[in-house]
Amino acid sequence: MTSPMISVQNLTKVYRVPERQPGLGASIQSLFKPRYRDVEAVSTINFEIEAGEMVGLIGPNGAGKTTTLKILSGLLYPTYGKATVAGFRPWERSPEYLRRISMVMGNRSALNWDIPPMDSFHVLSKIYKVPTSHYQRNLEALIELLDLHPLLKKPVRNLSLGERMKCELVAGLLYQPDILFLDEPTLGLDVAMQRRLRQFLQIYNREHHVTVILTTHYMADVTALCPRVMLIHHGHLIYDGALQTLAKKLAPFKLVKLQFSTTSTDFKGFITQFANTERLTSENGHHTLRVPRDNVAQLTAKLLETLPIADLSIEDPPIEAVIDQIYEEGRV
Amino acid sequence: MNHQGGWELIKNTWQSWLQHRGFFFLLAFGWMLPLLVYLFIWSAAAGDGSIAGLTQETLAGYYLILILTNQFTYATTNWTVGDTIRMGQISRWLIQPMSPLFHALSAEIAGKVVFMLFSIPVTGLLALIIQPQFNLTWSQGGLFLPAILVAWVLRFFWGYWLALLAFWATRADSLLTLQDTFIFLFGGHLAPLALLPSWMQPWARILPFRYMSAFPVEVLTGHLRHNEILWGFVIQAGWSLTAIILYRLVWSRGVRHYESVGG
Amino acid sequence: MFYIKLILAFFKTSTQSELAYRSNFFIRLLNSFLNLLTGVLSLVVIFNQVETLQGWDMPSALALLGIYLLLGALRELFIGPSLESVTGMDGEIWTGTFDFTLLRPVDKQFLLSFRHWRIFALFDLLLALVVLGAAMGLLGSDLSFGAVLSFILMLLAGLVLLYAALLAFSALVFWNSGFLFTWIINDLFQLARYPVSLYPNWLRLILTWIIPVGLMTTIPAQALIGTLSPWMTALTLLFSLSSLFAASILLQHGLRKYTSASS
Repeated sequence: MTSPMISVQNLTKVYRVPERQPGLGASIQSLFKPRYRDVEAVSTINFEIEAGEMVGLIGPNGAGKTTTLKILSGLLYPTYGKATVAGFRPWERSPEYLRRISMVMGNRSALNWDIPPMDSFHVLSKIYKVPTSHYQRNLEALIELLDLHPLLKKPVRNLSLGERMKCELVAGLLYQPDILFLDEPTLGLDVAMQRRLRQFLQIYNREHHVTVILTTHYMADVTALCPRVMLIHHGHLIYDGALQTLAKKLAPFKLVKLQFSTTSTDFKGFITQFANTERLTSENGHHTLRVPRDNVAQLTAKLLETLPIADLSIEDPPIEAVIDQIYEEGRV
Repeated sequence: MNHQGGWELIKNTWQSWLQHRGFFFLLAFGWMLPLLVYLFIWSAAAGDGSIAGLTQETLAGYYLILILTNQFTYATTNWTVGDTIRMGQISRWLIQPMSPLFHALSAEIAGKVVFMLFSIPVTGLLALIIQPQFNLTWSQGGLFLPAILVAWVLRFFWGYWLALLAFWATRADSLLTLQDTFIFLFGGHLAPLALLPSWMQPWARILPFRYMSAFPVEVLTGHLRHNEILWGFVIQAGWSLTAIILYRLVWSRGVRHYESVGG
Repeated sequence: MFYIKLILAFFKTSTQSELAYRSNFFIRLLNSFLNLLTGVLSLVVIFNQVETLQGWDMPSALALLGIYLLLGALRELFIGPSLESVTGMDGEIWTGTFDFTLLRPVDKQFLLSFRHWRIFALFDLLLALVVLGAAMGLLGSDLSFGAVLSFILMLLAGLVLLYAALLAFSALVFWNSGFLFTWIINDLFQLARYPVSLYPNWLRLILTWIIPVGLMTTIPAQALIGTLSPWMTALTLLFSLSSLFAASILLQHGLRKYTSASS
C-alpha cells in the first residue's frame, strides 16, 4: 500500500462574507443593500499524510484550520484544488466514506443532551450499521480505556465538560473509523483531564492504527501526541515537519540558566559585552539569560572562564513562546 | 426614573430587533392570520347581502382595524418575563438603578415600532385588495385613541401579572396561552360581538378580554351607541386598575420570594 | 428494514428526552384541549348564524376540522420536530451541530424527516380521530365504502403535500439561515381549518397552486362527503407526488449550497 491515506493538492477555499458597519443607520442600510467581501480561508495547500500518522494542525484563530478539517471530512467543498482521503473524494460524502471517518469537536456536541450517552451510542451504532457483537465489544473497550462506567446513566446535560468530551470520543469511535478528525478536543478542559485524553488518544492510535488530524491551541497536546505538525497562518501552510525542527528553526535564541558559587556576583558588565542578550530572571543566585543562538558557545565559554559558575544549563525556549512569535510575525 | 438610560435602552433594543426583523415579521404575520381567516369566513357567510347588519365591506373594515389594534395592544414582552426569571437574568435588572418595569416597557415600545413596520404596509395592501368600508367621524377617532391606549395598558399589565407568577411556577407562560385563547373567543377575533351566540355575548361584555382588543375597534367603526361607549370605558378602566393593582401585588411578593430563595 | 430499525431507535430516544421534561406534559395537554375547544366552538359560533356556508354544513365542516387536527397532529408527531431540530430556532444550522448530521452515512432527507418524535402528539391524534369519528357519525348513512377508500387515499395525499411543503420551506434555510421559513407554513396551515372555497379567488389560487395548504384538508373532506370527482382524485395524487419530488430536489440543492459556503 503505497498511496498515502490523505493527499491534498493546491487546496483553496474562498468564502463570501457579509460586511456590516456599526450603528443604527448602517443596520438599516444593510436591510436594502448588503455588502460582501471575498475571504480566502485556505490558500493552495499541499500535503500528504500516511495511514496511522498523528498530525497536529496548528495556527492562530481564523487561520484556516477548521476549514481544512471540514474539507477533508466532506463538510465543505473546496473552491479549487484536490483532496483524496482513503481513496475517496470527501465532499461526495458517500456512505462508505462516512463510515470510515469520524469528526469530534470540542465545542460542539454530537450527543442528545436530554438522554444518557448510552442511548445516544445505541442510536449511532444503528446509524453506522455496527453489528451488535462488534458494538458491544468496541463499546466495552472504549468504556474501559476512558474509565466511563459511572457516567453512562446520567443525561449528557448533567455531565461535566471533561466527562462529556469522553463520551464524544466514544460516539466518534464506536464504529472504528480509520480516520479521526479532532477539532480542539481539549478545549476548556482542566490540565488533568487534558492529560487523560492525550493518554487515551496515544493508546488508541497505537492499538488501532487510526490516522489522526488534530487541531488545537494547546501546545502540550501537540508535543505529547504529534511527531509532525502543520502550521497554518492566514490560509497558507507555512510549516510542515517535526515539531522539534520547527522550534530549532524558529527560536533564534536559547535560554542559559546559571548559578554562581558566590551569592553576590555582579555580571551586569559581562552581559553588555554581548549583543541582544538579556537577563530574564534572577532569584537567589539563579539566573536565566536569553542568548542569541549564534552567541551561545562563545558566551558560555567566556562565562566559565571569567565568573565563578556553580551550575550551568542550556535550554530551548518553551514551545508556546516560539509559536507566539510565529503567530505575531506570520512566517517561519 | 432614568430617562436618558431608558431612551438608550429603547434604541438598543430596537437596533437588535431590527437585525432579526425576519423573525419579528414572521411573528406579526402569525398573529395576523387567524383574524384574516375569520374575516374571510364571515365575508363568505355575508355573501352579497349582510349578516346581523354587517356587509362584506364593513366586516373588512372591522377586521383590518382589529388586525392593527391587536398588533398594537399585543404585549409581546410578557412571553419573555418567565424566561428572564427562570434564567436568573432578573437579578441583573434588580441591581440596576432603574425600575425593572422599564425593561419590559422599552422592549414593548421598540417591539411595537418593528411590528408596525410590517403590519401597517401589509394591512394597507390588504385594504387595496378587499376594499373595506369605513364611516369614520372625528368624535369616533377622538374616542378611539384613549380606548386603544387603555386597551394596551390593560393587556400589558394583565399579561404581566400572569407572567410574573413565574416567580413561583416555572411554566406560568401557559397562562398567557389561556389569555390568548380567551381573547380569541371573547375579544372579537372569532367573530364581532354582534355575531356571537346570545349566551356568549354577556360574558364578552363583562370579561376583560374584549377591552384588550375589540372595544377600540367597535368605538372607531361606529358599532356602539353612546351609553355602550360610556359603559365600555368604565369597565375598561376598572379592569385596568385591577390589573395594575394585581401587578404591584404579585411583583412585590414575587421579588421577596425570589430574594429569599435566591433564584 | 434498516430504515425501520432507525425509526424505532429514534422514536425510543425522542420519547426518553421528551419525558425528561415532565412539566411539559400538562402544558401540552392544556394546549391540545384549547386547540380542540377553539376549533369546535368556532364552528358552533359560525353555524349558529348560518345553516350552510357555500354548501358546507356543520357535519362536513366538522369532518374537515377533524382532518385538519389529524394532519396537524401528524406534523407534530415527527415531521415538525424533525425539521425544526435542524432549521428552527436553536436548530442544528444555528448551533453548528448540523455538521454531525451531514457526516452520518444515512440518507439526509430521511434523517431530516424522521429523527425526532413527539410522543404527546399521539394524544392530539386521538382527539382528531374522535372529532373525525363524531363528524362521520353526523354524516351518517351518506358514507359509502368507495368514499372511505378515496378519503384514506386523499388523506395520504394531503399528508404528502404538507410534508413536501414543510420540507421545501425548510430547505430554504440553506439560502437564508436566519429566517424561520417553516413558520410560514405553520401559519398558513391555519387557513386549512376551513374549506378553501370560502376564501376569495386570489387567495384560493395561492392556496391551491403555490402553497397548497388549501388542498391538504379540503380534498380529503370532499372525498369523505362524496363530492370529489375521480378526475380530481387522480390530479391530487399526481400533484402531491410531484410536489414531493420537487421538494427533494430543492433539499439536495440546499445541501450543496450549505457545503459550499458554510464557515
